[in-house]
Amino acid sequence: MKKAILITLICFFLCGCGNYSELNNLAIVTGVALDKKDDKYEVSVLIANSPKVDTSNKEGEAQTTVYSATGKTIPEAAQAVEQKSPTKLYFAHINVVIISEAIGKEGYLKTADWLIRTPQTRKRFYLLQAKDNKAKDIIKIISPLESFPSQNIKTLINTNRNSKSIATAVTYSNFIGRALEKGFDPVLSSITIHGDVKKGSKQDNLETTEPKTYLKLGPLALYKKGKLIGYTSSIDSQSINILRNETKEISYTLKYKNDYINIGSDQIKTKTTLKNPNTVDINVSGIGNIYSIGSDIKISDYKEIQKIEKKWNKQLKKDLEKIIKKLQTEYKTDVLGFGNKIYKQYPNKWKKLEKDWNDKYFKDVKVNINVDLKIATTGSLTETLKEANK
Amino acid sequence: MEKIEKNAKQVIEKIKNLYGNSPDINTRLINIKGTNIGCIFLESSSSASTISDFIIKGIDYVAKKTIFDNIFEKLENKLFNSQLFTINDFSQFSYYLSSGFTIIVVDGNDKAIVMETRANLDRGVTESTSEPIIRGAKDSFTESHSKNLGLIRKRIKDPNLWFEEIKLGRRTQTRVSIAYINDIAEIKTVKKIKKALKKIDIDGILESGNLRDYLTTKSSVFPQLQSTERPDVACQSLLKGKIIVLVENTPFTLILPTVFIDFLHSSEDEYQKSASITFTRILRLIALIITIFTPAVYIAITTFDQNTIPDKLLISLAVQREGVPFPTSFEIIFLMIIFEILREGDMRIPSTMSASMSIVGALVLGQASVDAGIVSPISVIVVAITSICGLIFSDIDFTSGIRSWRFLFIIGSTLLGFIGILAVTIILIVKLVSLENLGTSYLSPFTPLNIKAQKDAVIKMSSTNIFDRPSYISKKNITKQKRKDD
Repeated sequence: MKKAILITLICFFLCGCGNYSELNNLAIVTGVALDKKDDKYEVSVLIANSPKVDTSNKEGEAQTTVYSATGKTIPEAAQAVEQKSPTKLYFAHINVVIISEAIGKEGYLKTADWLIRTPQTRKRFYLLQAKDNKAKDIIKIISPLESFPSQNIKTLINTNRNSKSIATAVTYSNFIGRALEKGFDPVLSSITIHGDVKKGSKQDNLETTEPKTYLKLGPLALYKKGKLIGYTSSIDSQSINILRNETKEISYTLKYKNDYINIGSDQIKTKTTLKNPNTVDINVSGIGNIYSIGSDIKISDYKEIQKIEKKWNKQLKKDLEKIIKKLQTEYKTDVLGFGNKIYKQYPNKWKKLEKDWNDKYFKDVKVNINVDLKIATTGSLTETLKEANK
Repeated sequence: MEKIEKNAKQVIEKIKNLYGNSPDINTRLINIKGTNIGCIFLESSSSASTISDFIIKGIDYVAKKTIFDNIFEKLENKLFNSQLFTINDFSQFSYYLSSGFTIIVVDGNDKAIVMETRANLDRGVTESTSEPIIRGAKDSFTESHSKNLGLIRKRIKDPNLWFEEIKLGRRTQTRVSIAYINDIAEIKTVKKIKKALKKIDIDGILESGNLRDYLTTKSSVFPQLQSTERPDVACQSLLKGKIIVLVENTPFTLILPTVFIDFLHSSEDEYQKSASITFTRILRLIALIITIFTPAVYIAITTFDQNTIPDKLLISLAVQREGVPFPTSFEIIFLMIIFEILREGDMRIPSTMSASMSIVGALVLGQASVDAGIVSPISVIVVAITSICGLIFSDIDFTSGIRSWRFLFIIGSTLLGFIGILAVTIILIVKLVSLENLGTSYLSPFTPLNIKAQKDAVIKMSSTNIFDRPSYISKKNITKQKRKDD
């Protein structure tokens, strides 16, 4: 018994942080938007559990509130937000952080410190680039399909990453890790508002069957040395995602014999190997299937399929080569991590290259692309409709 | 020892005085050729027809044939009864009278004949109400001591099944029997129990529960002995090498020694398919963990460690708590206490009133208190889950033990969150490990680890694979089933 008492006492004395707080005294922040207003920073927080005015609402349905404030630094602005909110801001459940273009251009690493340093945050939230809009406006847009904006954005990223491969899901820690890694430049998914911002943040937006304002994921935002340098096109975004081995599913429209064929793959795999300090081998492999096909092609013929396959591989290879060229000469940003590969395999050589890697040496890297995609199935139909009709 | 008077009339007077002339003292003085024969019995506990048929008729029969002055010896030999003794101690009279015996005294003898003429005051063997089962023997112990012994004897026909009887209670003179199988049970343990029982010097023992405290050495809220009203459970325990204590006038018997895992077992486990029993036992274990920890963990995660909850759930919880004026721990403690009161009330009131009770309970506890904004719906759910999981265990003492610890956990988590839960868990484990009764550690067969006994602890292996009795109970004659290869 004496031992038991002693152990209890030790337990009670050893711990110092009794951070007791009731749930209804917390303002649960699920989204943060960082903007720049003149010289000052503006921090906006999205609070998910604002008390509902109407008690007849369904249980568990919350309404959201956005508070924002400005300050010389981001923590100062956050402090100012806290003064506006009646309850304590709780940052552990952040889903998304959206940064504006101005902050991106200035270099996000400069301001990234605050969210990383706060012990509460989980660091696994998504980081997004606001394109053409204020970041604050983006977290305000409500969607009829999800209960609050941040959840909406999170679902948007998750589904787009898996099925359309335009976007890429970059978590906060992932972005910062990439930015700090040698020979690697990060990318971010961008997000824009389609429609009117003011209408989109009102409840009316939910009451129509066709919401006038909604959020849309844009092309990838490219960063160079931690600074935003521009956006790619959608098709290039897909290519970058393939090259980075970040995607599993792609869909492709192929022109073949004056007709369009939709081909897709949901098991695409990319392997990048460094042959020697100047040559990179990229192997793209996977199994695809035909989603839809025009009328004049005999796909019951195996040779025809092989032809389509060949064309697809050629086309995709061309696309990939195009974007690599663009990255090497136009953007001069190593988002594919070739430099990182050199750093890991030839650390001594990297020391010489490191300084001028992006501007000078990166473009000299030879890239051999080998695309090997196979068409395995033709969907539920083995022939085209016209053929079947004969 | 007190001598018996040689005069029957005087004996009768003495007994009447002893009982304060209670109206149920019935005496009969028969005069045969100048010799008085006195019959004394308690009308309340004896059967009048047995007395008339076997004693009065018997005396008459003997008197007619007796010429010489040896009536006492003749009566001793000629009266028809299986239970007939001669006693020469007056102080024993009261015990026999109260037990429903008739005392026969004859002039000129300082001895008395006692003969069993007990009235049938017992109910018959009925189905068990406190331990209902689906599969297995339906009979249960009754208030009659000899019937209870019979129900055990009937099941174990081995003469090694021994009963030892002690009379306890200065006034009640309750018969207490220790039952054990001589060549299985640890005799040391039997001696310990006997010693503990003999030490008891109290005015009355009315129920086996009275003995509970005398048979345990260390105090704990967890019960250290199991009680059962089912003879097949008692016999299962006897066959494991355990010892049964039966007390007169109660259907509840005590099983010793008892370990923690016994409360997670059910007698039905022996009769059902072993694979499904393993699943059931794991379920019981999960229920035990849920019923102890749920409210404490709920308090810890909602007031200290909110970041452990997925965000959608957290927001839902936060919105539900909106407008509730009390702290979470107060809500939980309030609901737990209300539930315990309801349960206590439900047990005590007659079944005709329980319907109104459950309506009030369900409405007040569930709907109304949520609607009124006193508690949040999630708290009601937490308390409901806790209570349902707590009802799995049939032993009331065990449930009460869990309840006390549950409150300790709630206090711990209210003060310190998960660290508090951890602290109380450490104390709980220390307490359980240090508990020991009659030489058996309470957490056997886990600490000390007994690998052989694991075959029938949490998992239950097929009966064809269990050859030995659990050795933590008794090490004697351990094989219970012949091995195939022997």
